Amino acid sequence: MNYPSWDVPIIGSGWVIGIIAIFHVLISHFAVGGGFYLPMAEAKALREGRDDWMQVIRGHAKFFLILTGVFGAVSGVGIWFSIGLAQPEATSTLIHNFVFGWAIEWVFFLVELTAAAVYYYTWGRIPARTHIRIGWIYAISAWMSLVIINGILTFMLTPGGTWLSVAGTGQESQAFWQAFFNPTYWPSLVLRTLVTISLAGIFALFTAARIDGYAQPKLKREVLRWSAKWLIPSFVLTPAAFLWYLWSVPVSQRKLLDLGISTIGQGTFTQVTRAALVTIMISATIAALVYVLAYRNGSQFSSGWAWAILALALGATASTEQAREMLRKPYVIGEHMYSNGVRKSEIAQFNQRGYLSQSMWLRPEERTALQPESSPAGMVPAAALDDQRARLSSGELMFRGQCLSCHTANGYRPMTRLLQGRDRASIANLLKTLHENKEDSPYRVFMPPLVGTENEREALAEFLNWVVNGDNAGKGGALSAQRAAAKP
Amino acid sequence: MDASLSPKPEPRAGVYRWIDERLGLSEILAFARHKTVPDHQYSFWYYWGGISLFFFLVQVFSGVLLLVYYRAGSEAYDSVRQITYDIRFGWLIRSAHSWSANLMVLAVFVHMFSVYFMKAYRKPREFGWWSGLGLLGLTMVFGFSGYLLPMDDLAYFATKVGLQLPASIPFVGKVINDIVRGGPEVSAATIQRFFALHVVILPLLFVPLLAFHLWLVQRHGNALPPSEETKPAAERHSIPFFPDFFSKDLGMWLIALNVLAALASLYPWQLGPQADPLAPAPTGIHPEWYFMSQFQILKVFGRWFPGATGEFLGIGLFTAGLAIWALIPLFDPRTATGRRARWATWIGFIALTGLIVTTIWGYLDV
Repeated sequence: MNYPSWDVPIIGSGWVIGIIAIFHVLISHFAVGGGFYLPMAEAKALREGRDDWMQVIRGHAKFFLILTGVFGAVSGVGIWFSIGLAQPEATSTLIHNFVFGWAIEWVFFLVELTAAAVYYYTWGRIPARTHIRIGWIYAISAWMSLVIINGILTFMLTPGGTWLSVAGTGQESQAFWQAFFNPTYWPSLVLRTLVTISLAGIFALFTAARIDGYAQPKLKREVLRWSAKWLIPSFVLTPAAFLWYLWSVPVSQRKLLDLGISTIGQGTFTQVTRAALVTIMISATIAALVYVLAYRNGSQFSSGWAWAILALALGATASTEQAREMLRKPYVIGEHMYSNGVRKSEIAQFNQRGYLSQSMWLRPEERTALQPESSPAGMVPAAALDDQRARLSSGELMFRGQCLSCHTANGYRPMTRLLQGRDRASIANLLKTLHENKEDSPYRVFMPPLVGTENEREALAEFLNWVVNGDNAGKGGALSAQRAAAKP
Repeated sequence: MDASLSPKPEPRAGVYRWIDERLGLSEILAFARHKTVPDHQYSFWYYWGGISLFFFLVQVFSGVLLLVYYRAGSEAYDSVRQITYDIRFGWLIRSAHSWSANLMVLAVFVHMFSVYFMKAYRKPREFGWWSGLGLLGLTMVFGFSGYLLPMDDLAYFATKVGLQLPASIPFVGKVINDIVRGGPEVSAATIQRFFALHVVILPLLFVPLLAFHLWLVQRHGNALPPSEETKPAAERHSIPFFPDFFSKDLGMWLIALNVLAALASLYPWQLGPQADPLAPAPTGIHPEWYFMSQFQILKVFGRWFPGATGEFLGIGLFTAGLAIWALIPLFDPRTATGRRARWATWIGFIALTGLIVTTIWGYLDV
């Protein structure tokens, strides 16, 4: 909790990760699937003696190298930066727990990048069979990097009982493989592999669309038909793989989906269900468009349509990633760490000693005032409450620590809208509900319990009241800027 | 090679034949196959008229469903609350209606600018341009009148602010406002009037004008952009309307449906608290985005030239701009590129930039 907080106005820090991650997932999955596409297409062209195909594949290899080598790699680094800033506690856990895993992944990544460059630059300069073998080295190393990263990603949803039993004891590394091959590892690997294959086909439509359909109609039709077939495995097997994945998700998380389906008519259904339905709808649309426009009538397939299908693929990726993230609620690491970075094991301690008691960002006088022992139980220290500035800054620290990772003041999931119509007492009541986190609380399924002493919660209520009902309510921008602009 | 690659249909029997003998479906299909659409690098822009039509059809369909439960007048808010929270899938229909209204305005704007920059307003398509402008105007009034109907606080205050636009018209502005409002203030009587406008008067005007617009498109076909016009005939390509262009048009409709469904389900349209005329207006109240440009121009002129002068100058500038925009087919009548054509292109860029800049400015200046 002593990491600096990251206040991103309007979209919130979560969406910064989201935007980078959506692009990265799309390109990195293409980097894996495209790895299989290139040597297979090259082998086909060689087998059939098709020079015209070979030229198209070479063009595709250049597009592939630039897109994956530049945008894929840069967006990957972007994810590291953004998760480190938005979720430092969770990132720290991932790094410490999977040091060896990351090392393996980076080895494969290096082999992958090297093989991609060698594959493109040796085109026509080495024997064809050797060239194809280099393509396969690329494909296997790219897929292996997925095999590794998949273990770490799925760990965050389902760390597994073995790892959870040693979490926080310093013995976590003993459960490395159990954490890695966690309950959702295999279905997720199959799902992601299927997605990589379909994305290989979708990106290949791009290159094929550039062939002049009036000058070379036969070539264009053939390349488009062959590329469109790459979508078949995904669209046939994904429903079964998806059900397998859901079956592996803990019942508590699956409840979010069930709740969403049962309340769909009333419109209160969960975001995860909405996102999952959007994924299914967009995927079906992609299949229909690729069949009608690329497979059936390929000679007229234009770059505009390739862009449109790619945009749909981006939409499907975005909604799938959102559904996957939402399925983890209220945790960032299942059953271990809540989405605001508070570990499940720390709750009692925070409630007793105070959430801000060890904070480096609290002024000494504020710390003294917020100590529960400095006043009778249940009483709010007069020294602190008399000073509005102290109350607001302590409340802001609570907000930054426990709310900011998912909410903003005025933008995405905004306090101003979610608390609209509530006065200070009503806000304090809501915070009490969040703090008690009872079994029947409607917030329990997707929100962490609010931790801290009564004085700290009062300070948070004061701050939220200032955000929602204060002079500066409704103004955009970063919190610090709003505070500076507010009347003293 | 311009011919469709799709196989020719074989003679059919059964139901198709039964209908064909009575309605002449084969003749319609033969006509659709005979009709061609130009195929070039700007063909993408041909789809925006169809996308606008698609969103209009969604408006009609979802609007009729909302009509089943909506009650205009003093019960308006309660009926919308009931639709949103009590009626099964009412939230989805309302959300789809609101989102498709916004998407329709956006699609019509894109269609207008694409027509403009492809110079599809020139002879013999002048009436297509004017009827299109009429449809855009009616679409915006549809949006404005529909926005008030839920009568939550945002709708109420945004309508009050929006009515400043007609109020600023010299001499007749106040009279127009009184007629539209049904009194000195926005009230239940205003909802009743807006409702009649929204579901009866505007459709009565819109549908015949739309039919006229579509008939003109059918009569004159899709215009070629100047860069294609100058190419030799042998280098120009076209595709049959049916099934080739038609299937692509349907593909675009499918994408539009995806966008609409994703927005309507992931970001359902909110219903605020019931409007309270005595309460202070919420912070940062402003009209819908498609009126923001005009609103900002009036606001800025009012700031620079306080009093009636500002209003007069603002509305004058706006009216002059609209007149030039409407009369552009008469200013740029040539079929080949020339000096006037270049001028018209520059006017288009200025209009588009001005629209975007003043809209963004409006949002930053609340």
